[in-house]
Amino acid sequence: MTHLLAAIEQFASIEVLLAVIVGCLWGTVAGALPGIGTVSALIVALPFAFGMTTETSMALFLGIYVTSVYGGSISAILINTPGTPQSAATVFDGYPMAKAGKADLAIGWATLSSLIGGLFSLAVLIVAAPSLARVSVAFGPAAIFALILFALTCIAWVSQGSTVKGLLAGMIGLWLTTIGPDDLTGYTRFDFGIPALAGGLSLIPVLIGLFALSEVFHRAAYYFASKPPDVENVGFRLPQFSEVRMRIAQFLKSSAIGTFVGILPGTGATAATFISYSELRRSSPRRENFGKGEPDGIIASEASNNAVTGGALIPTLALGIPGDGGTVVLLGVMTIQGVVPGFDLINNNPQILTGAFLVVLVANAVMFVLGAAGARVFARIMSIPEPLLMGSILVLSLVGAFVVRGNPIDLIVAVLAGLAGFGLRFVGYPVAPIVIGMALGTTFEGKLRQGMISARGDFWEFILDPIALAILALAALTIAAPGISRRLFQKA
Amino acid sequence: MKKLLGYLGVASLAFVSAGALADYPDRTLSLMVPFGAGGGTDVPARFFAAELEKILGQNIIVSNVEGAGGTVGATQLSKADPDGYSLGFMPVGTTTTQPHLKKTSYNADSWTPICMVSQGPFYLVVGSDSPIQSIDDYIAAAQGDLIRFAGAGPGSMAHVAQLTLDEKLGVTTQYIPTKGGGDIATEINGGRAEATAWFSDFASRFGWRAIAIMSDQRSEQHPDVPTMAELGYDTQVSVWFGFFAPAGTPDSIVEKLSSSCEQAAAAESFKENMAMANRLIRYMGTEQFTSFFKEAFDLNGQLLREAGLLK
Repeated sequence: MTHLLAAIEQFASIEVLLAVIVGCLWGTVAGALPGIGTVSALIVALPFAFGMTTETSMALFLGIYVTSVYGGSISAILINTPGTPQSAATVFDGYPMAKAGKADLAIGWATLSSLIGGLFSLAVLIVAAPSLARVSVAFGPAAIFALILFALTCIAWVSQGSTVKGLLAGMIGLWLTTIGPDDLTGYTRFDFGIPALAGGLSLIPVLIGLFALSEVFHRAAYYFASKPPDVENVGFRLPQFSEVRMRIAQFLKSSAIGTFVGILPGTGATAATFISYSELRRSSPRRENFGKGEPDGIIASEASNNAVTGGALIPTLALGIPGDGGTVVLLGVMTIQGVVPGFDLINNNPQILTGAFLVVLVANAVMFVLGAAGARVFARIMSIPEPLLMGSILVLSLVGAFVVRGNPIDLIVAVLAGLAGFGLRFVGYPVAPIVIGMALGTTFEGKLRQGMISARGDFWEFILDPIALAILALAALTIAAPGISRRLFQKA
Repeated sequence: MKKLLGYLGVASLAFVSAGALADYPDRTLSLMVPFGAGGGTDVPARFFAAELEKILGQNIIVSNVEGAGGTVGATQLSKADPDGYSLGFMPVGTTTTQPHLKKTSYNADSWTPICMVSQGPFYLVVGSDSPIQSIDDYIAAAQGDLIRFAGAGPGSMAHVAQLTLDEKLGVTTQYIPTKGGGDIATEINGGRAEATAWFSDFASRFGWRAIAIMSDQRSEQHPDVPTMAELGYDTQVSVWFGFFAPAGTPDSIVEKLSSSCEQAAAAESFKENMAMANRLIRYMGTEQFTSFFKEAFDLNGQLLREAGLLK
């Protein structure tokens, strides 16, 4: 409690508030633009960190970090293109809802879910941060491996029509992550002698290609053939209270999953959304409507990914272990300010951690207001003529694909992925599993092999880890549950 | 007529490049960092770029070109025009171990080394509640087959440190390769590895204990930590960061960059920034750094070859 007062004293100033607001504005816009994900949004702001105090720079960067995750949902809902990988799962139900003429409501659900996810994780963290920090390192390679496997089960849920096609697409995604450097041996794999491939494929250009570009190609094809599907009622509308109240369990579950995954180093918001989607798809009383514009699907994705941002501050600030690309930049910003996150911070300056939570709290509030107010702007954007809108998306997407790493191959990859995504839609293959596979593949393989090396090549020694086994059992239950319950019902 | 145009073209080109040399730099420069923004290489690079901007009077864009141990960015830079506008800030691994490990298209001759900017010696560290208190404990534990030494991928500088230590101490430890950085800390704090090689922020960031510093002198930050040489096992492994231009950069430009680097490394604001970020400045001029770099390149190649890491 004394930390809280000290933190308020240190962080409560106009400058800090302004920095949060500026950060939130940029974060939301950057998140919504396909290609400019969390990391790029943070990097763009990095030069400003030099002239700022510790408090204001943390405010700016945390504002960007939190809202960029939220911003991704807007484009996912309106143009079937997740602005960031963390919002890939928002497409599954957000876009169908928008197509049904309820885009404003979909944005309302996404914004509300983000707010609840963010607040939930903060509440947990303010109460239990130090003890959670200890929990997070208990998750070894085997446990993270099991968790990623759980996230991969999401492929089964989003492969409507044909599970085989979905699994094949997921395999393609996993395979794509094996291109480039092998982190654990240093060797370069599957680069076919092309130097630009030696760095591997980045997820962002593939995501841009499969979603944004293929959507542009798809709409271009339909534009000349017939009238494209209109997304109507763009704006902001909060769901009715009764609708929200009957979904409290889903909100809490998704937020809890996000918070929990957030405190585990190196797992990330994207994995959390897939785990959450799988779990809610299994347990929701409205599971039959998933994929058709069910609010639970949006909650699954948006509450969990925003809960991760709060959770991820634990390993980053309390242990000095950044969990993903975004927190690496945050850690860098603090280093520039002469603050070393980790042991000293938590023991000698715990008010900085509390201050960070306060900033995230304010950022969540600002995000909510921005979402409500900004929806009108998005509505304007959506009403510009289709060819202009698609042209702008095309240009912005390609710029986004390039700026991530500055590697020209990423442009080619994005275009090829766009053509592939366009083709796959025609033959009825879902593209989302490719993204799921790619988002999770590197960690999946890395943790398996790292654990196998520690276990000296003995798979049983690797996997017989109590935490890992518990998670694997949950994953198996998720997959098998629909089958079991169907049988039970048939017998009855 | 065509011929005349050709001559004119050549003449104007010569004129332009001569003019460019005299006015260098007259436009924005780029400083390539082969690792991600906010990371261990990026932070000193940005401090350094901020000083160079003031000294050269031009904007400097720090471009992070990530991937494959920094080799993606380094390959790109090695192919850039050696006109003094494409420069790089690269660490020891990217420039002296990766070319051996990955058979990159660049090697020691692909660069005009300008200066060394920063250097941080490794410490041999263990977790906060580890029973290992001294180098003798470490050796005893290793002989009992109990040391798992965590680090980044094979051939990384932490691995080089582990190989060197094993050789000098006459023990065998098990190397646990991870993705590096935070993953190493997760393994140590989670009790899945016993030791690693880390920099001077091992205590402030992770609460770890150092057994020894792999340098020829004790550090100011941790004066209580003995050097390996004092303990009777002289091992020196450090990570350094250098300022490079592609090979073939004209001498006059190299001179200009060399004197700028000297000024930057000595600037008060640079010292302040580096101290705040807990990083050490280690300046080495062009001539000295060039021979140091070539030597390190050969030495690390030999070490990796002896360890059987080169195929």
